[in-house]
Parts: sequence; structure tokens; C-alpha cells
Amino acid sequence: MEPIVRKLPFEGVRVADLSMMWAGPYATKLLAELGAEVLKIESPSAWDNIRTLIAFPDQAQPWNSSYYFNTYNRAKKSVTLDLAQVRGRAVFLELLAHCDVLIENYRADVLDKLDLSYDVLRAANPQLVIVSMAGFGKTGADRALVGFGPVIEMMSGLTSLTGYVDDDVSYKCGVSYGDPVAGVAAAGAVAMGLLQRRRRGVAPIVDLAQREVAATFAGGAFVAAHRDPAVRHHGNRHPAGAIAPRGVYRCLDEARHRDTGAYALIAGREADEQWIAVSALDDGQWAELAALIGRPEWAALPLTERVARHDELDGAISAWAAPLEAGEAVAELRDRGVAAARVLDMVAIHDDAQLRARGFWIDLPHPNMPEGWVQPGPSWRFVEADTAPKVRAPLFGEHTRAVLSELLGYDEATLDALAAEAIIADAPINPGVG
Amino acid sequence: MTKVPRRMDQPLQGMRVVEVAGGVPAASCAHLLAGYGADVVRVEGADVPVAPHWTLSADEATYLLPGKRRVLLEGEEAGAAAALAALVASAEVVVLDGPPGRFDVPAWRAANPSLVAVTISPFGWTGPDRGLPADDLIAYAAGGLLSLTGDPASTPLATGGAQALWFGALHAFAAVTGAYYGAVVHGEGDWIDLSLQECMAGALELYGPAAAYGEPAALRFGNYHRAVWALYPCADGYAGVFCLERQVPALFAAIGEEALREERFRDPQQRPQHDEELSAYVLSFMVDRTGDELARLGAERKIPFGKVRTPAELLDSPALADRGFFDTVQRADGSTVAVPGRPFLGMDWDGGGPERAPAEPIEAVLAGWSRS
Repeated sequence: MEPIVRKLPFEGVRVADLSMMWAGPYATKLLAELGAEVLKIESPSAWDNIRTLIAFPDQAQPWNSSYYFNTYNRAKKSVTLDLAQVRGRAVFLELLAHCDVLIENYRADVLDKLDLSYDVLRAANPQLVIVSMAGFGKTGADRALVGFGPVIEMMSGLTSLTGYVDDDVSYKCGVSYGDPVAGVAAAGAVAMGLLQRRRRGVAPIVDLAQREVAATFAGGAFVAAHRDPAVRHHGNRHPAGAIAPRGVYRCLDEARHRDTGAYALIAGREADEQWIAVSALDDGQWAELAALIGRPEWAALPLTERVARHDELDGAISAWAAPLEAGEAVAELRDRGVAAARVLDMVAIHDDAQLRARGFWIDLPHPNMPEGWVQPGPSWRFVEADTAPKVRAPLFGEHTRAVLSELLGYDEATLDALAAEAIIADAPINPGVG
Repeated sequence: MTKVPRRMDQPLQGMRVVEVAGGVPAASCAHLLAGYGADVVRVEGADVPVAPHWTLSADEATYLLPGKRRVLLEGEEAGAAAALAALVASAEVVVLDGPPGRFDVPAWRAANPSLVAVTISPFGWTGPDRGLPADDLIAYAAGGLLSLTGDPASTPLATGGAQALWFGALHAFAAVTGAYYGAVVHGEGDWIDLSLQECMAGALELYGPAAAYGEPAALRFGNYHRAVWALYPCADGYAGVFCLERQVPALFAAIGEEALREERFRDPQQRPQHDEELSAYVLSFMVDRTGDELARLGAERKIPFGKVRTPAELLDSPALADRGFFDTVQRADGSTVAVPGRPFLGMDWDGGGPERAPAEPIEAVLAGWSRS
């Protein structure tokens, strides 16, 4: 009997993707994983900056060789079109008639400046679901602000919540956090837009302000601000004292990779420090933790006292952890039922037993990437449908001719003429570091 | 009995959702579904398995529970499980973030082929770590983001507000809407086994992919990556400037220092050798200006400036008020609070409303959801 092949949710959905950098491409990666045909459209003269954000001087085609680009753009088709040229815009609008969704993360004023206002887009395809993801939205007093992920995070209230205990300095997240947050929301907006179109026959235009999505992640803090507008930092401790002790503790440096170059050199030494996170989630876990760190006399301390003596408890846990390897410390804690994890760094996370057991890291061979280079699998693990990515990130312009030929019926002569005018191309014009 | 609101024009109108006593991950996911029109029933009770360390704080409950009907399941565990199964059999979506293995999701799916089930857990429902206890800090550590965040001279630092939970919640919301679209079009639901660890491990920007490529592992940078990508003190707090190469000339022009015309600053290849000197120019520029002044300048000259804003400041933001961002919740004590509203504009959202007690009779829900 033939195995049942489950359809993916977005099979049959075609997405025109004008997005660049991380937020928009993160969204369209999610859509592609659920079966959408994503046409990543770039201009030969203004390509996705992510391609060349990092220099790859030893590569013949650095724009096709970026691990940053190739991770977040897999399973998409690359189509080049210069939207700044009249003919390029005309081709684009012709293409839109064959698409279900348009997604873009330009600054709020850019579509209009390209003569691609919503009216123009709608005239090309009245049933097009449009998702715009400007940092601060298409309307309102802040619409002209410019911002990448860190700015979005700062302006959303999230950064203000992050800091060490009794320290007024706020810290941004280590990644451009506003980007994937907006990207996930945009993927949801596309799904709902398609639903609305199917049910009501009207395709919505979605105005997604990245700052606003991030602000929804601080909902409880907005409620608290009505009582007390001041923000207090709690470090890694539980903000309401509902869990204690809770913190991050240093272990032995990672020796296995010493001198392999796996860790960055900072101030002349390898930055291979290792940490563990520990949360004594209840009295029972605390009793086990107290015994493990050699302080059984503390086992009966109630939560209120643990909170009051947090510094002292932290000192004892630190002293216990310091001579241990991180993996060893976590294993001992978990054996006793205490919530703990290595603070997985970028090397260790690729060796994590849980992620490996779930097949999280996937190997999609790519002509410009080294053999064995892996990338993260889908975050949405469908148990029944097969969402495992099977197609690598595209080369620049790899699908231009096929897409324009198949969807628009262009012949070779027409395509050659477009190439002669640099409306389409298979390499960026004047590539440099973005 | 609470009246089921009519939301005929909303994108998720007709979607019936069971939220199993969620903490932030399930409750926030279901909150977004409810706002866009789903009929969400939150099932609570002493015998409903929950993730005990994710339970909602009072402030989170104020934010996340209005707009849902709340059912209190009482009695023996077996009875509660049967009642829950009956609800799920009539639903389009079930969202839960309780302990892996405590619910018979395959049976729910078998009984209701178009059902979309999403289970949210720290490590997923399979693998050696599937049953381990964890809170948001543990999940944040296992997902890799903790190693990248904080002052390099201090400990790794979790981003405030339990981000592992909120990020997982948003992933769940988007995954559910995608799967539900598939169920509507193809007639087949699915079970989404969402791991908070995997949500974060898939969002390590360039740092995770760089290590996989063989480059040295990045550790935390704190607030300073380089002079033109950093957070600085400003006249009324802290503000950041985060420029790509194409925006650096505009920043230098705004600073207006003659020295910044020199090739060693303008050339991106030479600039890293002079970063410390450059950062002094940027600092002296930032520290003299307020966040509002920087924002105006950024808008005029297309420079990515941003100010660290607190929730209290944002509640007073005219720009957010203009866009109708905030919802209003009527609290049980008669007071009202403004809370973040819809994540995006363009489809009808119905957020906020009164806080509700878990008082909806399950029989009434079942009668209303009857498929016969």
C-alpha cells in the first residue's frame, strides 16, 4: 500500500516576497516550510543586504555564500527584478496577478516611492493578501522612524525590563530580537489573511508594526505600570520571587575545544567560559539542591527566606559549580530532579543531545557551503505532515527565467532583453559589503 | 451564562478553541486567537494537568484572560479527562502547555481528524529531555539566547519578561493559524509538537549559523558590538544607534565632526582599528541629546536611532494611541487598565473586555458546540 502523503497547509499558495534582512525572510521561511511557493524578489542593483553583510573574500560568489542568508532563505525561489525601472515594475505587477500573497518589510514610505502603492498593487491583483511589516507601521507619528531589531526591542518596552539586580542599565537581547518576533507574527497574519479571503472573498491589507508585536511580549509589565511606572531589574531571578534560588552559575571553562579555534579570542584568550542555569522550582527541588551543594541544613528554608537570602544561596551554588564541567553539573542536578540546563553557547548547542535526538539540525547540501554545514530545522514540528525542508537556499536569480517563463510565458528573447537592461540578472551589480 | 460574542467579520470567526489551563505559552496563544474571533474556552481545575511553574501572575491574567470563556472542571481526574476529551472532540483547535505525556493527543486527533492540536513544552514531547522540569530561564538557556545576552564582564542575562514563554506562544499562534488554514482547505488537521528550545535555537540570527560554518562561537556582547551598533547613555536615559554600512555616512554627517571625514573612519575595512576613537565621538553626540531629539533626527536623516522606552512611557505614547494600539480591560474591582492590543492592523480585532471568573458550565459549552 502506498504511504499516505499529507498535504502541507500552504500547498498551492504562492507568495511574492520583497522582504529583506531578517524579519521578513524569517516569516517567509516559515511559510515555505508549510508548503508555500515563495518567490524571493530582489533587484540586481538592490539585493537583500543579508547576502553581503558578512564579507566572504575567498568566495567567488560571496552573495551566494553567506551562512546568514542561506539559513533563513531555504526552500524559496530567487527571482531578480529591478523595481526601480519602469519595465521591471511592469513585470512585477504582471507576476503579482499569479500570486496569493505579497509580503514586504520596507520602511513605511518605500512602496509609494517605488510607485507601488496599495492601489497599484490591488489593481494588479484584487485578491492579493498584502502584509507590510514596517518597523513602526504605515501610519501614526512614528511611521518615519528607521529601525532594525535592536531598535524595535528598545522602543517596545522589552529592553527596559532587562538588567542586572539593582542596576539601572538596561540590556538588549543578544540577537536582533525584534526581527524573528515580527516574522512569526507576519506568518500568522498571512494565514489569517488567506482564511479571510477564502471566507469573505476580500483579501486584507495587513499593517504590522514590528514595535507593536514586540510590545505584546510585555503585556504583564504594562498592567504593572498602572500601579508603578518604575521598572526594576531582577537579573536572572524570578521577578515576583515565586521561584528561588534561580540564577546562572559559572562552571569550568570548556577545555575540549581549546586551541581548535571554536571559541572567539577575547583579550588574548579563548572565550570558552561555560555556565549553567538553575531554578529550584519548589520546596522539594530546593531540598535536593541544598543537599547536593553540601548545605543540607538549608533544606527546610521556606521560599520567603530563600528569596531574602538569595545572595548567600547564590554564593553556595557558585562555589559548588565552579570546579565542575557544565555537563557534569547539569547531570547531577537533573538526577535529583532539579530544573537545570547548560547555558548552551553556539558550539555546544550543535552538540545538544536533545536537539540531536529530535533531528533538529539538518544538512541541506549547497554548492557554496562547506560539506556538513548544518542549519536549524523547522520550529513548527508537525507530527503528521512532513515539514522537513528538502530544498536549499537559492542562488541569486536562480529561478528568474523559469518563473517568468512558466508564469508569464516569456520567451528567451524577452528574457534576454530584460537581462540586457539589467532588469534581471544572475549576479548582483557592483556587489560589496552591505 | 456568558454570552458568546458575535464576531461575524473576524478572520477566525467559527474557530472553537480549547485552552487547557495555560500558563503564558498557551494562554497568550489563545488570547491572540480570541482577539481575532475564535471562541476560546479555557479549561481549569485541580485535576487538569498544568505546568506548575508557568502559571499566570495576576498581571498576566489581567492581560491574557479577558475575551475567553472559563470552565472549571471539578471531580475526579478520570472525569475531568473525559470532559476535556468531549470538549476537544467538538473543537477546531486545542492548545496546551502542560507536562508532556499527560494528554492523549493521538486519541484526540483520531476522534477529530480536522483538529489542530498544539502542545507547547520546554523541550518537546520526544527526546531524552522531554519530561524534565523547566521554567522560562531554563528554556532560555537551552535555546542558546542566554549565552548571547548580557554584559561580557558579568553573567549571561535573561531578557526580561520571560521571553522563552512569549516567543513560544507567538510561534504557537502562527503555527495554529497555518495548520487551521490547511484543515479548512485540505480537511486535515495535525499535531504541532512545539519545543520552546527549538523556537529559540532557530532564531540565533547569524551567530548560530556562523558556528555551524566553523567560525568561532560568539559570546555575549552586552550593549556594544561596535561604535555604530551600540547602546549609549543619552540626555534622558539610554538610546541606541544601529547602522548598516549604508547608513553610516548619514550618522557621521549628523555628528558633524571634521575628523569623521577621514578615510580611516569612512572605510569599513579600516574602521574597526579605530572603533574606540569613533565610539567616543558617537557617545559625545548621543549624551547631549534626548531620545525624542534623536528620534526626530533619525526620521529626517534615515538613521536607526532608538530610545529605551518603558511600558509606562509607551502607555503615554501619542503614536501608539493614534494607531489605537491599546485595549481596555475592566478589572473585577471596577478599575480599568490599558494593555497591548492587536499585534497587527488590517483584520478585525476584538480585545480587552471584562475579567471573568471560571464560571461557565461545561454543559452549556458542549451544547453550543454540538456538531449535530
